[in-house]
Amino acid sequence: MRPVKKRANQADLPLSMDEFENKLETEVLNSQDLSFTVYKQENKQVAVFYIPYLVDSTKIEQQVLNNLLDMQTECTADSILSEIPLSSGEQVSSIRTIRNKLTEGYVGLYVEQENQVIMYELGKTEKRALEKAETESVVVGPLIAFTESLESNLNIINWRMNTPDLAMEKVEVGKRNPKETRIIYLKSVANETDVNTMRQRLSDLEIDMVEDIHIIKQYILDSSTSIFAQFVSSELVDRSMYAIKSGKIIVMVEDSPFALIAPSTLFSFFESTEDRYFHWTLSMFVRFLRFLAAFVTLLLTPMYVVATTYHYELVPSQLLVSLGESRSVVPFPPLIEVFLIELVIELLREAGARLPTKVGQTIGIVGGVVVGTAAVQAGISSNILIILVTMSALASYATPSYVMGNTIRFVRFPLFFLAGFYGIIGLMFGICLLVIHLVRLESLGRPYLAPLYPLRLADFNKAFYRLPEQTKYKRFLSYRPKDKQLFNKERAAKRRDIDE
Amino acid sequence: MKINVQIPKGEQFRSFYMFFIIASMQLGVGLIGIPRIVFMEAGHDAWISILIAYLYIALLLFVMLYILRQYENADILGVQADLFGSFISKVLGTVYILYFIFYILSTLVTYIEIIMVFVLPDSNAFVLGCMLLIIAIYTVFGGLKAVVGVTFLFFMFSTWLFVLLIQPIRQMDFLNFLPVMDKEIIDILRGTIAASYTFTGFEILFFIYPFVANKEKIGKPVFLGLSYFTFVALLATNIAIGFLSPAQLERRIWAVLNLFKIQTSPIIERLDYVVIAEWMMVAMPKVILLMWCISYIAKRIYNLSRETSVYTSASILLILIPFFNEHFIIQRLIDNVSRVSYGIVYIYPFLLLPLVLLKKKTRKK
Repeated sequence: MRPVKKRANQADLPLSMDEFENKLETEVLNSQDLSFTVYKQENKQVAVFYIPYLVDSTKIEQQVLNNLLDMQTECTADSILSEIPLSSGEQVSSIRTIRNKLTEGYVGLYVEQENQVIMYELGKTEKRALEKAETESVVVGPLIAFTESLESNLNIINWRMNTPDLAMEKVEVGKRNPKETRIIYLKSVANETDVNTMRQRLSDLEIDMVEDIHIIKQYILDSSTSIFAQFVSSELVDRSMYAIKSGKIIVMVEDSPFALIAPSTLFSFFESTEDRYFHWTLSMFVRFLRFLAAFVTLLLTPMYVVATTYHYELVPSQLLVSLGESRSVVPFPPLIEVFLIELVIELLREAGARLPTKVGQTIGIVGGVVVGTAAVQAGISSNILIILVTMSALASYATPSYVMGNTIRFVRFPLFFLAGFYGIIGLMFGICLLVIHLVRLESLGRPYLAPLYPLRLADFNKAFYRLPEQTKYKRFLSYRPKDKQLFNKERAAKRRDIDE
Repeated sequence: MKINVQIPKGEQFRSFYMFFIIASMQLGVGLIGIPRIVFMEAGHDAWISILIAYLYIALLLFVMLYILRQYENADILGVQADLFGSFISKVLGTVYILYFIFYILSTLVTYIEIIMVFVLPDSNAFVLGCMLLIIAIYTVFGGLKAVVGVTFLFFMFSTWLFVLLIQPIRQMDFLNFLPVMDKEIIDILRGTIAASYTFTGFEILFFIYPFVANKEKIGKPVFLGLSYFTFVALLATNIAIGFLSPAQLERRIWAVLNLFKIQTSPIIERLDYVVIAEWMMVAMPKVILLMWCISYIAKRIYNLSRETSVYTSASILLILIPFFNEHFIIQRLIDNVSRVSYGIVYIYPFLLLPLVLLKKKTRKK
């Protein structure tokens, strides 16, 4: 038995004012930070103590000190509690608890020779104002994004979805520095198995400390070897609201401006919140464009390697002339040529992301235009390849999710190596492996390729094409929500008839 | 050995997918060669041979389903164990494993031969075999859900190929089909027998049946799957007969690829290269499903783990593939596999039927 533990059981109070101050200063870690002031009130000494940078000093002045010094009655713990108009007064008697409360932003009041310390929560936390989303830019629709403060995030969610149905379960994650994590979903809609799985995975976590939701994400993934992101993470409030509405679960953690949306399918990475605000024909067109873009990113440069290394016959004869002309000066085999240029593009992207905004643009232009032109003139690359690489890089940014865009660009590398290795057969081999990998993936135990496999035609209206909103009277059925209907189709039709 | 098998709910799949399983098992590299094989025997009446094959197999599938329905949730191994006892059932299961290994081998070497003749003359059969087997192994390790999913998706992603047959259809000469019933009945029946290798694959029903969730509805997708394949085979054969002259057709081993050859597009000139590569998605489901079957039988009769059986059969295949490097050796392999399949696939269920009925009667007494 260590003596420290025994002392905790003993009563620390009452003490004289000097003893109390000494004891507190030895217990509080950064004792030079402690502000400890003693006031004389009708022949009694009252100490007010707090850590200045953790509390709101104007509030202390207004709420605590003014009322304390104006008190007419005799100063005791009880009278202070009844006189000071704050609701959060707590009576604490152990020095350790006092220490802990101080670091959480409490103010302590101690009347000499009493055996209770009264503590009020007057903490302040630094947080930034609500801003619009940076990583997911939208043109139409609400722009508001989450911030680092979980409190204000929960506030926003409650404000956007004010229904008693909304559940916000609390889980503590992290051993050294436990952080508040919330599982947010609609009780009557979300699938119970999914909620249980998520709760189980979060409470089973063995982590020292969580800096961001993306750390948690990596711990609770279904397959950590897969390069494909299995949960959408979004800082757009709108997107999370839509996810909750459709029966998904979102997870938020203190200090992270991102919400984790689970379960997710491959196709949910190609959705943007804007799709729902545009006219359906437009959003359908844009949706197809994105799928096409992903396809182009994946296949354009590998096809170039295939055509120039093995199968010239694939290229139509008119095109073959210009292709052959521009490639005739290039000394490298196509695979190395493509690899070099792709590497340049990746370097530009990485440099552009790391550099300050002002310099970044300049570097982008210099790198893109100058290096591209010079590479062709120096005979390091054919100009057709420059076009193809730029096009596929551009296409990869059409994916609304930055993470998925990066994944697609990364997957291209093994594909063109396979293409260089065994031509069109090698490329096809790569594509087959990709498809198999995607079939095998799961997100929170739900198939990743839903609704394509397992096939559910009713969900195609959400995942692939978008017919008018009136036709979408069902939720995303692949996730088996408890409440399948969004609205009653017949009743909606009837209402409309009457209006007309 | 247990007669009925218990399948956990997570491993079951809807009967809807049986359509894709049956169709994918029959599609494959055999389809590329079917026009010539049938034409050699039945002439331009080949379509009658194929229709006869369809009717025979439809009857066969009916019998197979009838046998399986006599039991609660049994596969063919369970049925055999019930009829002949555990030991003979094990022997017959081993025969199935060997048959499936050679069936996979014949599929792989045919596809590899096509690749080496048309696309990559300098490639190595061993490396190509490695690539194809990696695809199969990776899928089978994902469990039956992944196997069915990959079968379904590969089917979906390769169906567009038939759009490319529009150009040859427009250039068909319909006089090539006249006069109808020109050949003797016996020649037409020979054509049916020649087509049998291409039509095999539906025997997977005997093994995959216990995994179907809603068994009462299994009939429709199974027969539709067979009908789909018959339609495709008819299409391929008839276009080949109409598009090519008899003398040309007799000298073209892979007539279907010749049909794709004349189709061009402004972006890609030689679409038959794309078709051969894409054919990987047509040919591989068969290999994947058979590989799964091997692992399933091995688990059931020898209690081998999936890893052991799959790695063992894959290594046997890899060792064998380089030996089948000439066309006539491959042709001999195919001939032998189809000869075995006459017995195992086309006649055996009819022998089983009276025994099952007899057993049922004695059990009632």
